[in-house]
Amino acid sequence: MAAATKGALDMLPLSLAVLPWGILFGSLAIQRGFSGLEAQLFSAVIFGGAVQIVTVELMSEGAPLLTVLFSALVISSRHFLYGLSLREKLRTKPLRWRIGLGFLLTDELFSLSGDRRAYRNNYRLYYALGAGGSFYLAWNAWTALGIIAGAWLPDLTDLGLDFAIAATFIALVIPDIKSLPILICVSVSAILSIIFSIYAMKLGLVVAALVGMSAGFALQKLRQVR
Amino acid sequence: MTLITIGLLALITFTTRYLFLEGKLPLRLGPNVKQFLSFSAPAVLTAIFVPILFVHDQQLDISHTNAYIWGGLAAVMAAYKTHSVYWTIGFGTATFLLSGNLP
Repeated sequence: MAAATKGALDMLPLSLAVLPWGILFGSLAIQRGFSGLEAQLFSAVIFGGAVQIVTVELMSEGAPLLTVLFSALVISSRHFLYGLSLREKLRTKPLRWRIGLGFLLTDELFSLSGDRRAYRNNYRLYYALGAGGSFYLAWNAWTALGIIAGAWLPDLTDLGLDFAIAATFIALVIPDIKSLPILICVSVSAILSIIFSIYAMKLGLVVAALVGMSAGFALQKLRQVR
Repeated sequence: MTLITIGLLALITFTTRYLFLEGKLPLRLGPNVKQFLSFSAPAVLTAIFVPILFVHDQQLDISHTNAYIWGGLAAVMAAYKTHSVYWTIGFGTATFLLSGNLP
């Protein structure tokens, strides 16, 4: 219990940082014609900020199901990597722990998992459960606030709440740029994402990310060959 | 239909998170796939946040009255200098709010 509380406390700043984001999602879903129950269900079972916002927009524009699902897959593909780097620590743990923590494995929980001893013993597992679980409750509470606010107030997306998303991702991306290939990858993604969103391409995010990844990967290979 | 789509989306996000935590999974990723995947987090997160800063109503907005750019610049500088989530969000948001009323 003490471990779970400590996890929740360590997560608290990030749980608060996603408040504007949760409100934005809840109100956006309402304004795009989803019911309150559907909006809450997004947060309760999908539990991924970026995926939820992008897919709500796509679904309300009437994008084909395959486009919606493929976009979700590409946006979520970074989680493959998180699972991969935690694999050695978690693969031998009981199924209920793997399923529980797997469900809770967000960008935020992963950022708290850097410690070498993370997930090693029961204390560490309960710590992660407290961190991930409290973040889940916070995300759903903020979504509920957004659903209520969205039903009463005009377009909340005009209030600049989306800046909170940008700031959070800047905080996660910039410290990660440790090599030239990553810098190239990020720059290519950035430029393409601007062009594609001006032309409102439905798969723009996906293509921008994939081309950026390919550019970074190609440069890294080229340097290894030399 | 909406509920089915939500269910499928939940299945996709859970699968991407859980797949490699499954000990029985015989799959071993080659070094190339691992290297390629190592670029996915920065690429995806960048492709999401950059248009928020620069594109509004499907138009490129690089004027000095665009508070998103000032806030973004401040956040990038704070992230680069401090590597701290709190300073990045704090300094970025403060600059964003303060530059919201530029003439």
